Amino acid sequence: MTLKKVESSLPTFAHRPLGELVRFENVGLRYGVGAETLTDVSFAIEPQSFQFLTGASGTGKTTLLRLIMQALKPTRGMIALFGQDTSQLDKEGLTSLRRRMGIVFQDFRLLDHLTTYENVALPLKVQGREEATYRAEVSELLNWVGLGDLMHVTPAVLSGGEKQRASIARALVAQPELLLADEPTGNVDPSLARRLLRLFVEMNRSGTAILIATHDLSLMDQIDGARRLVLADRRLHIESGHD
Amino acid sequence: MTDRSGIPRTPRFALSRLVPLFQRDPMVAADPVTDKALIAVIAIMTFLAAMTAGAAQFTASTTSRWQVLMASEVTVQLKPQGSRPIETDIVRATDILRGTTGVSSVKVFSREESSKLLEPWLGSASAIESLPIPRLIAVRIDADQPPDMAALGKAVADSVPGASLDDHRNWTRRLSRISDLFLLVSLSALVLVLTATGLAIVFATRGAMAGNREIIEVLHFIGADDRYIATQFQRHFAVLGIRGGLIGGGAALILLLALRIAGSSSVGLLDANGLSGLALPGSEMMAATVLVIVLVGLVAGMASRITVYRTIGRLA
Ligand SMILES: Nc1ncnc2c1ncn2[C@@H]1O[C@H](COP(=O)(O)OP(=O)(O)O)[C@@H](O)[C@H]1O
Ligand SMILES: [Mg+2]
Repeated sequence: MTLKKVESSLPTFAHRPLGELVRFENVGLRYGVGAETLTDVSFAIEPQSFQFLTGASGTGKTTLLRLIMQALKPTRGMIALFGQDTSQLDKEGLTSLRRRMGIVFQDFRLLDHLTTYENVALPLKVQGREEATYRAEVSELLNWVGLGDLMHVTPAVLSGGEKQRASIARALVAQPELLLADEPTGNVDPSLARRLLRLFVEMNRSGTAILIATHDLSLMDQIDGARRLVLADRRLHIESGHD
Repeated sequence: MTDRSGIPRTPRFALSRLVPLFQRDPMVAADPVTDKALIAVIAIMTFLAAMTAGAAQFTASTTSRWQVLMASEVTVQLKPQGSRPIETDIVRATDILRGTTGVSSVKVFSREESSKLLEPWLGSASAIESLPIPRLIAVRIDADQPPDMAALGKAVADSVPGASLDDHRNWTRRLSRISDLFLLVSLSALVLVLTATGLAIVFATRGAMAGNREIIEVLHFIGADDRYIATQFQRHFAVLGIRGGLIGGGAALILLLALRIAGSSSVGLLDANGLSGLALPGSEMMAATVLVIVLVGLVAGMASRITVYRTIGRLA
């Protein structure tokens, strides 16, 4: 399975409304009672943009992603998602925001008792869609990430790289406006890392804004012009990447 | 990348394609040991509830048959009144009875027959010849249009001194009280069983949610709402409830059927002893058992759903 074949069958996404997908204003986060892990973090993510979130291990990349995916509430500051202030969010609002983003967890978080196909189809299933309406779509996506032959096995049978691709497919299946990926190349060899990165680039071309958290400098060097959000010393610095 | 197309696909359980109820639980990774224990508890409780319901229904239908039998015949008793010629009184009484609509036949017991009835208590007919023996008139009632018993009794007593009509009312009343009591007992048993099932499911659901914490979290992140998650648990536990209910209720049904077969083969014997009209487990009892099974499933599902809603906030 080559990526060329993959690219040719890439689905095209509908037109996206303009407006920031994510906005942080002076966000601070403290775990428990210690010092702040993140201090005065301000940035925005535009639709269809591509950026890396980087910084040494332990600088707070995962923490920042968890703030975006609403797994954590900021200790102070304001976070807006898709133009909505998240401090005002009720449960239904939270659910509908989450349906607009796809998440690739560092540890995949595939459900062990489901097959690859069922795992990848899950975001559509939980939205109440009938299986008949998405079966072909999911199969196509699985072929696209090179898991067409492993559709009906459980994650226990998959290698690290295959799990990685399954979790990317799951994040992508509902055609999210924003994709968050936490160290998506952390567990794979460099050649697979390159292939996965090209997957993200393709997704971005078809309309999804991408935020990849990584501490792998060589990975970032493969994408010219990608913006870099750099965490260091609890603060976020933005390198435009166009120089 | 290795091509592993040679890996056999996991076979799907064919029944799941036909019946949604038997679909593999997509989300709830259940602990099979807990599930089995839960099924056993529910089965035992359903069995007890179904047996109690069976006993209540048996009592109810038997007593109602007896009531019909009793109501279809009343007796008029004439006590000898000193020197009054009792045969004239009997004629007068029978005339009144025959003239009443709703009375289908009247049979007068002769003096000899009346003595015979008393023989077991008073000795041979010759010994009681001289005694003033009360005389009996058996009155068959048309069940479709029964006469007003109180009015009839009054009419007979007014025109014939010493005559009284016995419509077995005391007995019927007592029988219906017994059957009401049984019904109450069986309803209480059902309520207790459903409550216990509900409680067992509440604790099992809490355990399952703690065990599925990771899964619930992932489901939330990929856009599942609480309703979807609650439905997963509800379905899982409703199926457990129905499985337990089917086992317990099924065992009860088999036992009731066995009683029915045993009972119908000895009906002749019962009739000879004057116990005709004994009700045997019938289709109503089967229907009641099926209803109990469905109720157990419903309660299990609802208890699980409510527990999910009440607990899910604390997990997040
Ligand atoms: N749940 C937590 N409770 C307390 N401290 C945490 C928790 N998660 C992360 N941290 C701390 O916050 C800092 C940033 O962690 P993390 O966001 O995981 O960094 P990164 O993903 O960049 O490696 C680390 O010092 C880590 O120890
Ligand atoms: Mg991390």
